[in-house]
Amino acid sequence: MGFLGVFLPSFGIDPAAGSDQFTLTAWKQLFHSAEFWSGLSLSLFIGVVSTALSYWIATSLVIACFGSHWFDRLNTFIAPILSIPHVAISIGLIFLISPSGWLVRWFSPWLTGFERPPNWLIVQDPQGWSMILALVIKETPYLVFAIMAALSQLDARSRIQTAKILGHTTISAWHGTLLGPLYRLVRLPIMIVLAFSITVVDVALIIGPNTPSTLAVTLLRWFNDPSLMLRGQASAAAIVLACGVVCMMLLWEACYFIYDKLRKYVTLSGDGITNIRPLTWFSALVGSGIFLLTALTLIVLPIWAFAHRWRFPDTWPSQFSLNTISRLGQRLFELSMSSLSLALVSGFVALLISLVLLERERRFLQSKLVTTMMLFTVLMPQITLLFGIQVGLLWTGWNGNWWSVLLLHLIYVLPYVYLTLKAPYLAFDERILQQANLLKDSPIKNYLLIKLPLLKVSLSAAFALGFAVSMAQYLPTIMSGEGRINTLTTEAVARASSGDRKLVSSLALIQAFLPLICFYLATVMPKHWTTWRVALRRKFC
Amino acid sequence: MLTLKNVYIARDHAPIIAPVSETINAGEVLALMGPSGVGKSSLLAYLSGTLPSGLSGHGEVTLEHLAIQDLPIEKRQLGLLQQSPLLFNHLTVEENLLFAYKSPESRFLRKQAIRSKLEEIGLEGLEHQLPQHLSGGQQARLALLRTLLAKPKALLLDEPFSKLDHSLRAEMRELVLDAIQKTQVPTILVTHDQEDADLMATRVYSLRSI
Repeated sequence: MGFLGVFLPSFGIDPAAGSDQFTLTAWKQLFHSAEFWSGLSLSLFIGVVSTALSYWIATSLVIACFGSHWFDRLNTFIAPILSIPHVAISIGLIFLISPSGWLVRWFSPWLTGFERPPNWLIVQDPQGWSMILALVIKETPYLVFAIMAALSQLDARSRIQTAKILGHTTISAWHGTLLGPLYRLVRLPIMIVLAFSITVVDVALIIGPNTPSTLAVTLLRWFNDPSLMLRGQASAAAIVLACGVVCMMLLWEACYFIYDKLRKYVTLSGDGITNIRPLTWFSALVGSGIFLLTALTLIVLPIWAFAHRWRFPDTWPSQFSLNTISRLGQRLFELSMSSLSLALVSGFVALLISLVLLERERRFLQSKLVTTMMLFTVLMPQITLLFGIQVGLLWTGWNGNWWSVLLLHLIYVLPYVYLTLKAPYLAFDERILQQANLLKDSPIKNYLLIKLPLLKVSLSAAFALGFAVSMAQYLPTIMSGEGRINTLTTEAVARASSGDRKLVSSLALIQAFLPLICFYLATVMPKHWTTWRVALRRKFC
Repeated sequence: MLTLKNVYIARDHAPIIAPVSETINAGEVLALMGPSGVGKSSLLAYLSGTLPSGLSGHGEVTLEHLAIQDLPIEKRQLGLLQQSPLLFNHLTVEENLLFAYKSPESRFLRKQAIRSKLEEIGLEGLEHQLPQHLSGGQQARLALLRTLLAKPKALLLDEPFSKLDHSLRAEMRELVLDAIQKTQVPTILVTHDQEDADLMATRVYSLRSI
């Protein structure tokens, strides 16, 4: 339905706009638009460069930390960062690197001599480097997480040791024995990052270039054009964007194929890979810098939120106060409740649907159809799919209410919850449940009281991820909410360029804080749940 | 010549085996025996630099008069053959061997040398196979050849025949002994099988726990 909803309007058939004549006008208009070509090249450039940088830095960081106590620490650092929305990171980054940001303040005026913010074009630069930085900050931890999970399947330690005993250095051992098989396991996360980086809207609106914008932002503007004249052109652009993603994936695979061949040739050449060692350590150092930047972006948000007066070039606010929070208390509360209700309900419903789908899969069939559909949703550009769905919603007149927003959130929450839960759910030892059923003839009760509690760690992790995904949704909320349903994310993006740093930082802070709390509870509670339950029973029963 | 001077393994600074002082000359095989869990494999891991965290190794290890105990694994020039062949399943048989065969010769000459070595151990024609498609015996032979191609100056054998059936075990013993005789490398063999020790070892050392 989503794809049809953009495919037909691009050829002039748009029931929502009252046209049903087949025409190629939209495509002609699109290909004659200079904004389209510049937006497309910018989107592809930003997507590919940020993904390549994230992958290279993530790999280097893992190589540098592997086998040391830093490897476990890396694991601990990463998990909470994953739950923080892109929007919060992007806003924090602006407050950090902009000409009037915290970094410049640290060195002003004593080193730079600046009494006023310099006239530098650092954020929203025309080439998109600040957006690339924001994407690298957010995607590197995700790829490190994926690489670490894949390493546990590869018996990495013994591979490295064997290669070293055969006389290879650490770098050569990694390239010769691990990175090839590792890539096959992390291909999907890389493709998700690539597709996301090319098509992302919220990050691009906050920190991306606007002269011109990326294609995703441009076509969002075309779609929202009040005259409805640009809808066909926007639909055509949405299809091109989806094709662009597929082309970039194929190009990425082709480049990786050549790189892998070259790497194998060098590794097997007789003296192994030696000359990229400094580059790997440098990239690992950059990776550490990325984590430092992430920490700083999260530190600068509460400082701005509680700052009363913070003039340039002061390093710290001259006064702190709760004025912003109390002035906006009611509004922040409403937005938080709106975000929370959507995130809780969509996370819970996605968990229920996933359990039904997985139980069906376990009992009756090991079909790849569901997984393929889920992956399609994750890899397909959000903007392309959602425009199509929006056309359908408009056509049925079911738009602009809480339920339609929930439905669209669910479309994106479900794949993440399902894919996270799939492996642990299917790996559950069914003999335990069989034993319970032999002991007590109430299968549903046994399922709820025996199987689900035993899966509580995976269930809460999947729910927390679903919660975080919902909290971060921007496009689904504005497209189906039509401005009537606002969340912390939509408000933060809308206000990002308003100049009211205290308001924006408060929004971003709460937006980052809620998934973090959910993630923390999901990590801590299942571990202690049984102990707490037994302790309570002892006390009161 | 491989020399161990007061070498022992400790857990939380407490020694778990009595110190070992032995010299293994070129072409000699020292069989290291002792009850299960005494620390035989840990001792080999200390020599090869692969001791897991939680354990620490002490004492001096010299290979051809060079102290190697503090060198990185890849600089020790030791060959290690274990129960599991630990072949790289994403590389073909030939690529597994090329990975270990470091030489200034051209790729063509190295490939030729590998093919003739494969013929010597009865694996001719399998150079483009993936290791997981080989039988257990073929994998064991390939692992041995790969270890030897790295031109180690000493060989550490950590129960390398224990997963093989009786006939394969005899065949592998012969191959390994033949390789040791040809290369004249000092060898330490960890085993709990008396037959391995009787048939292969020049000397037997019984490891004692503390």
